Amino acid sequence: MIMLDKLSTIINKVELSSKDFLDIRYAQSESETFSVRNGRFDTISNRTSGGIAIRALVDNAWGFTTTVSLETEDILKSVKKAISMARIASKYAKEERRISDKWVFEGKGATEIKIDPRELDKELKLEKIKIIEKSAREFSDNIAQASSTYQEMHKIEYIVNNKGTNVENEYHVIRLMKDVVARRGEKMQSVFDSIGGTGGWELLESWDPEEEGRKSAEQAEKLLDTRSPPSGKMNVIMDESLVGVFIHEAFGHAAEADGVFAKNSVLEGKIGEKIGVEGISVYDDPTIPKLRGSFVFDSEGTKSEKRTIVEKGVLKEYFQTLETATMMEMKPNGAGRAQDFNSIPIPRMANTYVDSGDLSLEEIAEMTKEGVYLKNSYGGYVHPTKGQFYFTCQYGYIIENGEIGELFGNVGMSGMTLEVLNNAYGISKNWKPAFLGTCGKGGQWVPVTGGGPNIGVSNLVVGGK
Amino acid sequence: MDNEFFDLAKHALDYGLNLGAEEIEIYAVKGFSRTVQLEKTAISRFSETSGSGIGVRIFKNKAVGMSSTTIFTKENIEKTVKNAFSLSKISQPDPKFQSLPSDDRPIPDIDDLYDEAVENLSVEEFTDLMLQSVEEGKIEKDVIIGGNYGLGKLERIILNSQGIERWCKSTSISGYLSVKIEKEEDIGVAYYYDSSNTLKQFDYIKIGKEAGIRAKKMLGAKKIETKTLPIFLDPESTYGTLSSIVSQGVNAFNVINKTSFFIDKIGDKIATEKLTIIDDPFYPGGINSAKFDDEGVVPKEKTVLVKDGILQTYVTDSYTAPLVGLENTGHASRGTFSSRPVPSVYALQIKEGETSKDSLLEELKEGIFLLGSSIHPSGDSPTISSQINQGFYVKDGEIVHPVKNAVIGGNIYELLNSITYFSKETENRKGHIAPWMLIENLKVSGGK
Repeated sequence: MIMLDKLSTIINKVELSSKDFLDIRYAQSESETFSVRNGRFDTISNRTSGGIAIRALVDNAWGFTTTVSLETEDILKSVKKAISMARIASKYAKEERRISDKWVFEGKGATEIKIDPRELDKELKLEKIKIIEKSAREFSDNIAQASSTYQEMHKIEYIVNNKGTNVENEYHVIRLMKDVVARRGEKMQSVFDSIGGTGGWELLESWDPEEEGRKSAEQAEKLLDTRSPPSGKMNVIMDESLVGVFIHEAFGHAAEADGVFAKNSVLEGKIGEKIGVEGISVYDDPTIPKLRGSFVFDSEGTKSEKRTIVEKGVLKEYFQTLETATMMEMKPNGAGRAQDFNSIPIPRMANTYVDSGDLSLEEIAEMTKEGVYLKNSYGGYVHPTKGQFYFTCQYGYIIENGEIGELFGNVGMSGMTLEVLNNAYGISKNWKPAFLGTCGKGGQWVPVTGGGPNIGVSNLVVGGK
Repeated sequence: MDNEFFDLAKHALDYGLNLGAEEIEIYAVKGFSRTVQLEKTAISRFSETSGSGIGVRIFKNKAVGMSSTTIFTKENIEKTVKNAFSLSKISQPDPKFQSLPSDDRPIPDIDDLYDEAVENLSVEEFTDLMLQSVEEGKIEKDVIIGGNYGLGKLERIILNSQGIERWCKSTSISGYLSVKIEKEEDIGVAYYYDSSNTLKQFDYIKIGKEAGIRAKKMLGAKKIETKTLPIFLDPESTYGTLSSIVSQGVNAFNVINKTSFFIDKIGDKIATEKLTIIDDPFYPGGINSAKFDDEGVVPKEKTVLVKDGILQTYVTDSYTAPLVGLENTGHASRGTFSSRPVPSVYALQIKEGETSKDSLLEELKEGIFLLGSSIHPSGDSPTISSQINQGFYVKDGEIVHPVKNAVIGGNIYELLNSITYFSKETENRKGHIAPWMLIENLKVSGGK
C-alpha cells in the first residue's frame, strides 16, 4: 500500500490536461530457476527485478521512461521526462491518439496460491528435477541429453493513472519441465513436456518424477526408429496441444488490436464477418484459475475478462488495451500485458482455446481418410500482416484409409490465417488446455496456454522430406 | 567509466569472498536505450529505458550458486550475493568444474565499437534520420510503414576472484522498418533491418529503401506445388542458414551434452569442400565484435571453424574447454546478466566462390530464390522443416513470382553436402560476411 500511496501522490503532483494520459507502474518480481542437465547442475539461480515504468500520452503521442530508483524525486524526474518526450513526439504525430476517461479500475487482485514454494525447502525442488533427469538419462544408452528445469516467479504490480485507476496485482507462476534428446549417430529426436500454471507447489504434484523421466526417454528413443515425415498439402488432425499453438499463431496474433490498428493484420475490418466454419468458436480467458496465462488485472490495471474472439465462425472481438479500445470505439478487455517494468503494455493473449465439438478422434480419422495425425507442439510463429503462420510438432502418425497408423518424428507446418478456419472439417468433444508456453512479441515474453479439442483441417502444408 | 557502479561491483566481489565464497564472479552491465516507434507511417512513441543489472556466480566446493538483480542499493546487492552463496551451499558439486578463468593479457584495441555521436544523438536528430528513411520507403502511394529505430549505450564490467578485472563500453544504433503495399486483395509486405556501433556506419537510408523495394517484389505471391528443387540464397539467407547450423555444431557446451551436430567430427569432412568459415571477434565496427568474452577472457584473434569442408575446432569457454580437450578460445557468451555463460560464435566470415551470382541465377532452370529468409534446423534436431518467409519461384533463370505457404524439408547433413556453389561476390554487414549460395535438391512442400 505504501507504494500505491507514493505513486498516487506523485501522479497528483503532475499537471496535465484532462485529455492527456499518464500512468505509473511499479513492477517487482522474484524468481528461482533450477536446472539439471546430464547429471550436472546447469543453473541454480534466483533473480530479483524491480523498477518503475512511466507512460505519458500527450497531444497524440507517447513518451515512455523507466527508472530503477524508488526515490520520489527520481520518479518525478522520470515522469517529467516521459511528458517532455511525448511532447516532442507529438510534433510528428499525424492522427488522434487518446485514452478514454470511461474506464477506471480500483482494487487488489491475486492469483490463488495454496502451497507457497517460497516457504518450502529448496532441496525439495532440486530433488524433483534430479529424479526426472536421472530417470530419463539412465533409461537407455541412446539418451544423449536429459534435462529438467524448475521455475517459480512471483510478481507484484502497482498501477495508478491520472484517470483514477489504482490497482495492486499479485501473480505467481510455477513450472516443471523435462527435455530429453535421444540420439543414434546423425539421427536425433527430442521430447519436451511441462506442467504448472498460476499457483504454487500444488500444481506440480500430479507428476511422478521417476515415471515422467522414463516416459519421455522411452518416447524419444522410440522416435529414433521412425520413418521420415511426409511432405506436401494434406489433411491434418491436430491434438489438443497443437490446436492450442495453431489457434494462437494462426489466429490469436492477428486479433491483437495494436496490429489491427496499425493496419498490420489480415483481420482488420473483419469484426462481424464470417471467417470460419460454423463449428469453430475461439475464446481467450485469463480468468480460468490455475492456468499459466491467467491474471486478475493486466499491466494497465484493467480487470481481466473472458474474450470471445470467434463465435460460430464469426469474428467478434480483438485483444485490446486502453488506447486501442478508445481508438476503435470498443471496450478494453484486459489484454495489456508487460513483461516487466522495462516494457510497455501491449495487447497479448492469455489462455486461448477452441471450443469443443461432438466427434470422437476415431470419427475425425475416418473423415480424414488420408493424412496425418500430429501430436505435441513445440511452438510456432506468424506474420500477421501476410496472414502466413508456421508451427511445429514433436511427432505424428500417418493416417491411411481412415486409420491412425505409422509413427514419424518432428516436422513443421505452414498455413494461411484466412483459409484455415474455413478448412476445419471435424472437431472432437474432448478438450484440454494442453499447451503451456511463453509467447514472444516485440521482445517481451509472457506466459500463455493454448488448447482445445482435436481438430481436422484440410490443406495444411506439412514440411517433411 | 561509471565509478560508482564499478565500486558497487567491486563491493559485491569482496562481500562474497568475506562470506566464504571460494570463487566468485561479478558480471555487471549498465546502459540505456532510446527508441522511436513508428506506426502507420507516423511517429507514435519515444522511449528511454534502463538496461542495467548485476549477476553473481559463486562456487563453494565446486558447487555453483547464481543470483542477479536490477535493484542497485548496497543493501540489495549484498542480499543478492548472499542468495548466490546460500544456493551454492545446497547446489551439487561438479567435479568437472576446474576454476573460473584468469587472463592477464591486455585487451586489444578495436576501432568503432563506441561512438560518442551515438550516445549524444538527440531524440529529434534521431527521429530525423528515421523519417528520411521512411520517405525512401514510400515506394508507392498509400504504403503503410511501421517499425522502430533504437540506440543505446552499454558498459560491461567483469570481475572475478582469479584476478579478472575488465571494463568496456560500446554503443549501438539500429533500425527496423516494415513496408506494406496493398492492391485490392493482394498484399506485399517486407521489412529490412540494420544495426551498427557507430553513426557513420549506420546506413539508415537503406532500411526504408530496401524494405520498400522488397515489399513491392512480394506482391503477387502464389502457392506452388510440392517438388524437389534447388535453392538459391542471398547473402543474408546464406549467413542465417550456415550460422544457425555451424554455431550449434561447434558449441562445446552442446558437444559435452552430446547434442552438437558435429560430435567427434574435428578433422572430418562435414560439408562440401567449397565451405570455409572463419570466426572473427575483433572485426572493426563489427556488431558482434568484443575485446573480451562474457567471462573476461580475450578471445583468439581469428578462429577457422571449417576449412575446405573439414571441421577444425569447437568454440569453448572456461568450463567446456577442458571437457572437450581444447584450450579456452574465449567464446563465453550470456543471454542476459542473469544467465550462465555458454560458448557462442562472434561473427562469421563465409568464404566466397568463383562464380558470379548473376550467372548462378541465370543458369537456374527451376528453383527457389530466398531473400533474407534462412533455412533453420528445428532446435537441437538436425531435421529441417523451415517455412519460406521471403522466397521466389525461379524458372529459366528468371524470378517469376513470390511464393506463399511453403516449407523446405530435409536435414542439416544433406544440406551441408548439397551446397554446389558460392558466388564470388559477398556482402559484408558489419563483420557478418557471406556470399550467395546454391543448394541442390531440397524438398519444397507447397500449398498448391
